[in-house]
Amino acid sequence: MRIHDSLGAQVSHIQTKTPAEFDENFRQYGAKGYSLVFGHGFEFQDAAARVAPDFPKTIFVTTGGTRSSANVVAMSFAFEQPSYLAGLVAASVSKSGIIGCIGGTELPPVRAGFDAFSQAVHVVNPNAKVLTAYIGNWDDAGAGKEQALAQIARGADVIYQNADAAGLGIFQAAKETPHVFIIGSNSNQNNVAPTVTLGSVVIDLPNAFMSLAREVKSGKFTARAHVLDTRSGVMKWVLNPQLRSVVPPRTLQLVDSVEHQMQAGTFAPPASPRAPEEK
Amino acid sequence: MSIDAAEFLQASVRTATPLALAAYGELVVERAGVINLGLEGAMIAGSFGALVGAGVGGVGAGFAVAVGAGCATAAVMALVVLWLRADAVIAGTAVTLLSLGLTGTLYRALYGVQGAALSVPTIAPVAVPGLSLLPLVGRAFFEQPAVTYALYILGALLWWWISRTHAGLALRATGERPAAALAAGLSPVRVRAWALVFGGAMGGLAGGVLVLAQVGTFAEGMSAGRGFIAIAIVVLGRWTPVGVTGAALLFGAASQVQYVFQSLGWPVPYQLFLALPYVLTLLVLAGTQRRAAAPAALGAPLAEEAR
Repeated sequence: MRIHDSLGAQVSHIQTKTPAEFDENFRQYGAKGYSLVFGHGFEFQDAAARVAPDFPKTIFVTTGGTRSSANVVAMSFAFEQPSYLAGLVAASVSKSGIIGCIGGTELPPVRAGFDAFSQAVHVVNPNAKVLTAYIGNWDDAGAGKEQALAQIARGADVIYQNADAAGLGIFQAAKETPHVFIIGSNSNQNNVAPTVTLGSVVIDLPNAFMSLAREVKSGKFTARAHVLDTRSGVMKWVLNPQLRSVVPPRTLQLVDSVEHQMQAGTFAPPASPRAPEEK
Repeated sequence: MSIDAAEFLQASVRTATPLALAAYGELVVERAGVINLGLEGAMIAGSFGALVGAGVGGVGAGFAVAVGAGCATAAVMALVVLWLRADAVIAGTAVTLLSLGLTGTLYRALYGVQGAALSVPTIAPVAVPGLSLLPLVGRAFFEQPAVTYALYILGALLWWWISRTHAGLALRATGERPAAALAAGLSPVRVRAWALVFGGAMGGLAGGVLVLAQVGTFAEGMSAGRGFIAIAIVVLGRWTPVGVTGAALLFGAASQVQYVFQSLGWPVPYQLFLALPYVLTLLVLAGTQRRAAAPAALGAPLAEEAR
């Protein structure tokens, strides 16, 4: 909507349900002459690759993917960077040394985030244990809550969630259990449950789409793979100010300095979605 | 990292509660001879109704609207199947798809993109004095939200009603031999219609439980197939209240095993754990299916001479 307001562009959106519809929806927009089409999710990249050659005047953007061509932009997000910062905070807040990660399904960016998070946890506390679980979908909030309660029963007292709507159940589990904290993801979720949310790993998607839309409008656009990270300000770790006092001051300093190193490009956690498994 | 058996059982009963409620409803529907694939739709309508009702008038209103929303989906089903004589499988599928789409659209229209995250009041578990102190089963069965206790009473009532009352006999007759039921002065159309409405109400209640006794929020598609699982539970429970209760508990426990296994951090692909409740259900179904127990007229539309 910001694209509409500040660039004066005509904006339309469609919700897709099944992969079979991806091609169809891309084609519709291509045929209508839209100059920029965003497909949010790495599952769109095959459809974009198939459709793009037929509509050379339209630029197709997918997120989380890796393949780009003349008019296909693969935008990917360095989820591991703010996840690493979240891991530093989680490990210093956890009293039990047992920390949970719960995802919807094991998508590459989810996995990359959990791996970097887990790595940071072990930097702070080498003896910590990280439990990783997946709900199997992104809607079942009831299952999210039960999975969180199961981790809490094993001693987890900080849980990093990346399960979309199903993740709401994870916040609820923490609200019902004393001394359990949650780390949110994707959007700033600090207000979902302000009393239990330490902070959020945020993708500033409007910002990412805006900068690309500006490039296209001004004619400076070149097709390439965009990796958006903490340097562009698209990926960021946002601490919940209400729970600032829970985090040791030393950790706050550490997070700041690591964040500066990331922004300066002198430090980056490994981005591989297949980093060694933590056990 | 020990596993507390009492806690495990308590969680199993908690997971089984919405499944058992929905399955009781479907049990009555199927004993009347109809398969209601719209149960999933009744559940998600109930979840959304619970959100809207609780926002206006608290938890009680939430449950009331949930039941009403479930009834509404069943009324559509009854109208289309019994009076317009459409195929029940197609009509049920359509009701589920319509309900999933409609609740999603209404949710976005009423609550915006930000949603209604965790804004719904929930009912906490209440320990029954004395009974909850029993070893092992005490906490499992008697430290639950009030709606679970309602489930126990409902299960017993349902058994008595189906097997010991005239109305229950009319239900069974309609499901076995609709023409004979008509000859005995009953109206199979009316019996099936009331059965569908009861089934919808129970599905709505089950959806309400998800929101008001468990997660405290609505999410699009949060019923996540529980309606279909409830239909499977009715088959697994051999169309009897006792069997259905047992099957729901079994599925609840199998789901909890899945959660616990994942939380142990074993190096096994998580998809295997996710499949576990279904594999277990299939095995039990294969192991117990010895004689046909389904109502004889199940799934058969009412013939002209039975209307």
